[in-house]
Amino acid sequence: MRAFKRILHIAANDLRLMISDKVFFFWTLAFPILFILLFGFLYRGGDTARQKAELTVVNRDQGRWGAYFLDKVKSPDIDIKTVETEPAEYNRLLILPPDFSAKIEARKDQALAFKKREDASTAAAARVETRLFQAIARMLSELVLYGEGDLSKFLDGHAEFKDLVQVKSRFPEKTVTVVPSGMDHVIPGITIQFIMMMVMIYGGITVLEDRKKGVLARMLYSPLSTGGLFQAKLLGRWLMGMLQALILYVVGKIFFGLNLGDVGLSLLVIAVFAWAMAGLSVCVGSLCTKEDMIVGLAVLLANIFAGLGGCWWPIEVVPPAVRTAGMISPAYWAMDALHKLRFFQGDFAAIAPNLGILLGLSAVLSVLASRFFKIQD
Amino acid sequence: MRRLLLILKTDILRHLKSPLAIVIYIIIPIVMTGMIGLIFTPSSTGGELPPIQVVLVDKDKGLASRLFMGAFDADQMKKMFQVTVADEAEGRKRMEKGKASAMVVIPEHFTLDLLDLKPVTLEVVKNPAEQFLPDVVEEFMNTMAVILSGAVQAFEPEARGIRAMLDMPVDSFPWETLGPEFGKAQKKVVAASKVLNPLLLRLKDEKTKSADAKPALTRSDIFSSVLPGMAIMFLLFIVQTVMRDMISEREDGKLRRMLTTPLRPGELIGARITGGWVMGGLVLLVMAAFGTMVFRVHWGPFGWFFLLCVTAAFWSASFFALMNALIRNRNQAGALSAPIILAFSVFGGSMFNVEAMPKAFQVIGLATPNRWFIDGAAFIRDGRFPAVPLLVLAASGLVLLALAIPALKRRATV
Repeated sequence: MRAFKRILHIAANDLRLMISDKVFFFWTLAFPILFILLFGFLYRGGDTARQKAELTVVNRDQGRWGAYFLDKVKSPDIDIKTVETEPAEYNRLLILPPDFSAKIEARKDQALAFKKREDASTAAAARVETRLFQAIARMLSELVLYGEGDLSKFLDGHAEFKDLVQVKSRFPEKTVTVVPSGMDHVIPGITIQFIMMMVMIYGGITVLEDRKKGVLARMLYSPLSTGGLFQAKLLGRWLMGMLQALILYVVGKIFFGLNLGDVGLSLLVIAVFAWAMAGLSVCVGSLCTKEDMIVGLAVLLANIFAGLGGCWWPIEVVPPAVRTAGMISPAYWAMDALHKLRFFQGDFAAIAPNLGILLGLSAVLSVLASRFFKIQD
Repeated sequence: MRRLLLILKTDILRHLKSPLAIVIYIIIPIVMTGMIGLIFTPSSTGGELPPIQVVLVDKDKGLASRLFMGAFDADQMKKMFQVTVADEAEGRKRMEKGKASAMVVIPEHFTLDLLDLKPVTLEVVKNPAEQFLPDVVEEFMNTMAVILSGAVQAFEPEARGIRAMLDMPVDSFPWETLGPEFGKAQKKVVAASKVLNPLLLRLKDEKTKSADAKPALTRSDIFSSVLPGMAIMFLLFIVQTVMRDMISEREDGKLRRMLTTPLRPGELIGARITGGWVMGGLVLLVMAAFGTMVFRVHWGPFGWFFLLCVTAAFWSASFFALMNALIRNRNQAGALSAPIILAFSVFGGSMFNVEAMPKAFQVIGLATPNRWFIDGAAFIRDGRFPAVPLLVLAASGLVLLALAIPALKRRATV
């Protein structure tokens, strides 16, 4: 019990030193929030999906079918601008030719020019194109239904198209009930990334400095063993990671309405992940002989793990091979577990495999860290 | 001057003897560029997204559901969707594992209800952990629903006939009445084919460019646009590492001892700043060479790019010279330099595409070397001389140097 108290005392002291550092709040708060805002801005997801997609239409049709077709294109998601001539600036442009009606009535096939700017939003273009396909499908169905009658009289009276098949979308049962905000995706990713950066950089550098300045050697004059000292350093770095996570979660909750699902289980995932990073930081701090090497290695590893692990961009847009490669990143397993908790209302059983992998990794890294941990160079 | 060159040579050789930190800082931008390039390069098949994984749950197991599922077998559909047929529980499991973006549920009695012309509802269960792909599946299903609705309405009497057949025992069905019905259906098919083959109305897609549009990005273009941002970010890290000697020598008394020799403070300061400048320039050129060899990055005219690298390295050396003059010790340097570099990198476009950032961030970015270096590299790639970026970097570098030299001299002699 006394040994544990001593370990706890040293770990808490490491944490205190970190907090008293002048740039502590830059690393733990200001910089991650900058990232959250930028990534939140870039990947607003569902929020942008609600924005209207613009479609410019040049309706040169000299009959009635053009207006009829455009009526079918109308949708709350699409903002149709009708112009007389082809404009120089547009995002998406549909041109109805002068003989649009004439060709339909003569049952002559025609292709409508649909121009898309390469640099405009591909998501909006897809939404407009889908709507145009749907309008064409509706109109063709009506024409088939009309049979071989005189099409010039079609608009005076015809059978209405009925949407017999409807599509209803929902989320799986016992998961989310409202569309998760972009921030619900972004904040956990940034938290995981900054735990890696913070713990490896701060934790690694302080292990190196304590060794170089002889602090570790002097600590052994206390009743603490080398093993105890190692455990204290490991615990100190774990506390750093947990503090970083708590700060970002509280900020996320207050300012961005962050929803984590089961908070207790989310913190458990973070705790195990932070343990793995604590082991890695002691390892890096013990193996490196220069501060710059630690910063370089930490930035390199944290960025690779974050990129592969899905902390920066939705993992769904990543090619399958890169997604598979991402499994080597501890961040992947943590993010996957957090997704299960947040988006699938997962329970302990759901995240048990992830916890198992992270625990295994933590144990391996801790063993390696204890193997390389040294009191003096 | 001879002494300045001697110190410069010694410094460079000393750094090259233990190059691990510098090597790591050279590797990071290369690795990051590779990763971003691999993830965001348009695929060779032309699609902008990987195939979307969809689970189909067929609770109907009838004619219509089979036809519906068969639609996913078309070649164009196969490129877009990867379909797995499973039950709902398996579908949910696949979504939880990130192996499905959406699950499409075909309800029970789907075929019979369609033949009865009753409204039917297809369910699209979206993976809540994904932000974009489930919406694509939903939109696609909306289109399929329209096509299916149209087909059923067009062949309504036939649908009713098939429905009646399904309800009657085979031996009591009046097979002899089918002949005329087939005849009517055939006429309708012939009439429909006039509308559907070829399609009476279709879209002719055309991708256009605005007058000031840039060409579509290839993989090499993506590497070419990412690497300069990464290179300038890690150039700053490397130059600050190299120039931190100025503080450590001051702290541990080496500087004072060196100044007891005939060495003048100006020579020492000049050697250190030139050392940072030369090392920075060399490192940038090494990164550029890596980029050319590994990623086939196109830099544009080499002479212009060399000038940009030299100017950026000069700016970095001047900046850290001033910073080292203003701060007291290594701890302060360590604490301040990384946040400053990262802030430069975030606002200046090393970490995010400048055009995708909020306007306010873009304006702040103009105060960073990263932005001017990235812009300069883009100018050169486009075959334009980067006059403005060079002018801004050189002029601001000179101002920093003019401020740094007297401050460093004062520090050296105190």
